[in-house]
Amino acid sequence: MSSLALLAEIRQSSERRPYEVLKLAEPLLNSSNQLTSATDDAWLVYEQVFLSALDEGQIDLAKALLHILHSRFPSSQRVKRLYGLVNEAAGHPDESHKLYSEVVDKDPTNVLALKRIIALLKAEGKMALAANELVGYLDTHGNDFEAWLELSHIYLGLHMYRQAAFCLEEVILQQPANHYFHLCYAEINYSMGLLDIALKEYLRVIELSTDNVRGFYGVKLTADRIIELLSSSTRSGSGGGKSRRDAQMSFSLDNVPQMPVLEKLSQLATERLVATYSANKAASAPTKALEDWLKQ
Amino acid sequence: MADGTEQAMFLDPAIRDWVLFPITVIMVLVGVFRHQLTILMTGEPPKPEPKDIRQGKALMRGQILAQNNSYIPLAAFAERKKYLCAAYEEGTYLKNKAQKEQGAANLMADPKNMEVMMDGMKKQMMGIVPQTLIMGWIQFFFSGFILIKLPFPLGVRFKQMLQSGIMTPNMDVRWVSSLSWYFINLFGLRGVFSLILGGENSADGTRDMTAMSTMGAMGQQPGQPQDFNKQFLSMKDNLSIVYHEWDLENIEQRVLVKYGKQARLFKSSRK
Repeated sequence: MSSLALLAEIRQSSERRPYEVLKLAEPLLNSSNQLTSATDDAWLVYEQVFLSALDEGQIDLAKALLHILHSRFPSSQRVKRLYGLVNEAAGHPDESHKLYSEVVDKDPTNVLALKRIIALLKAEGKMALAANELVGYLDTHGNDFEAWLELSHIYLGLHMYRQAAFCLEEVILQQPANHYFHLCYAEINYSMGLLDIALKEYLRVIELSTDNVRGFYGVKLTADRIIELLSSSTRSGSGGGKSRRDAQMSFSLDNVPQMPVLEKLSQLATERLVATYSANKAASAPTKALEDWLKQ
Repeated sequence: MADGTEQAMFLDPAIRDWVLFPITVIMVLVGVFRHQLTILMTGEPPKPEPKDIRQGKALMRGQILAQNNSYIPLAAFAERKKYLCAAYEEGTYLKNKAQKEQGAANLMADPKNMEVMMDGMKKQMMGIVPQTLIMGWIQFFFSGFILIKLPFPLGVRFKQMLQSGIMTPNMDVRWVSSLSWYFINLFGLRGVFSLILGGENSADGTRDMTAMSTMGAMGQQPGQPQDFNKQFLSMKDNLSIVYHEWDLENIEQRVLVKYGKQARLFKSSRK
């Protein structure tokens, strides 16, 4: 397979393999006639190599490539965005921001430039501003689940769990079969103290992804916690009964499964965790740490 | 059909050289020309404005919610349902909120809609004009010509298809008339075009025919903008009757069954 075909394959799968791309492209760039003979694909290769050069920190190479692209497409918005990228890589965020804003002004539907602006704000640590921009972006592009996921991460960074959970609900609506999203959702709910939802979502993770260790840790934690709460409320709560809302609880104990089910789940989690870790003989230290934790 | 009549007809080779081949070649050439012309005439499709996108995506959100509602907890679903229903009702996501009341009458007001419609008209004209010309040409010069004899026998029912333009009730169905040859080419050249021009070509004349025939039935041209207000309202109705059942209601049992800790006691409600 020729290196051009390989590059095209990498380009189409949108993998990020800068080192390979640069290796493949080096002979092509040195012998100038080979790339020009590839006609239209040549410009895509230039763009691809440019991005890889940025990833590898070869800013000079990137600038040279950008020059070629610019001389071919002087008024292209796509090339303008690349200029923004070079500026970002070289550490001139303000310049990049200006360039991206120009692109967006010209074409308000340019999703890539819009996302760059948000990424730039995030990279500068202006989380609240980034969240703001992202909300505006999602108002228009409501079906971009990756953006929802990003917004959820930003909210988590700002300790806004309720909002983060909302974003993840949107993600799950659009991608209901991806166990990772359920895992994130479960963890946020656990942080908020909504143990009933957290437990169910952790179980969903396990259903979707067999022996998911992170999921089983969650099940173990949540089930044990609920058991503890249940037994303490039956011991002390003769007046309020089971539905009495504890001060530290933000959920009703009515919605949780029966005690024997909870115990079974906790046992199952212990069993699977031990089995998973002991299957991997090399990892003796984690296994020991796990056993210590489970004995608590 | 008696053998005698079949034997008695012989076609002049000149008909093959000067009628049969020319018709086919001209139809192929016209198709290719049409394809090139379409490429020339259709510029870039008009870019949608953010508001257009917003409108479409808002509708999509409702669809997704109605479809996948079982994957989120009841509270989350109720919250979204309430919000989206109210937004649809008020037309929050409509591109032209002010025009909401005036309804579909004002679709023409948007200049971009006009453009889209003109584009559709142009394309249709380009399909109809050459085909009409060729058909007229054939009817004028070669009406009543027999062009070709099929090498296999056919039932009488094919007479209409293969011998249009000739009023001879007793002729064998295997003989094909000029007008029928035209129609066979019209519908049969699609494969040839996709060979020469690639899969997505606009040389094929039949697509316009189907477009024309459906146009009357639907009362709507292809590419004509939809009335989003109506769609929003119907989506709101759809959403408001959705019965929410959380998929994770019996997840404990499902997981226990998965790991063999519990026999399958009752039927899983999972779809």
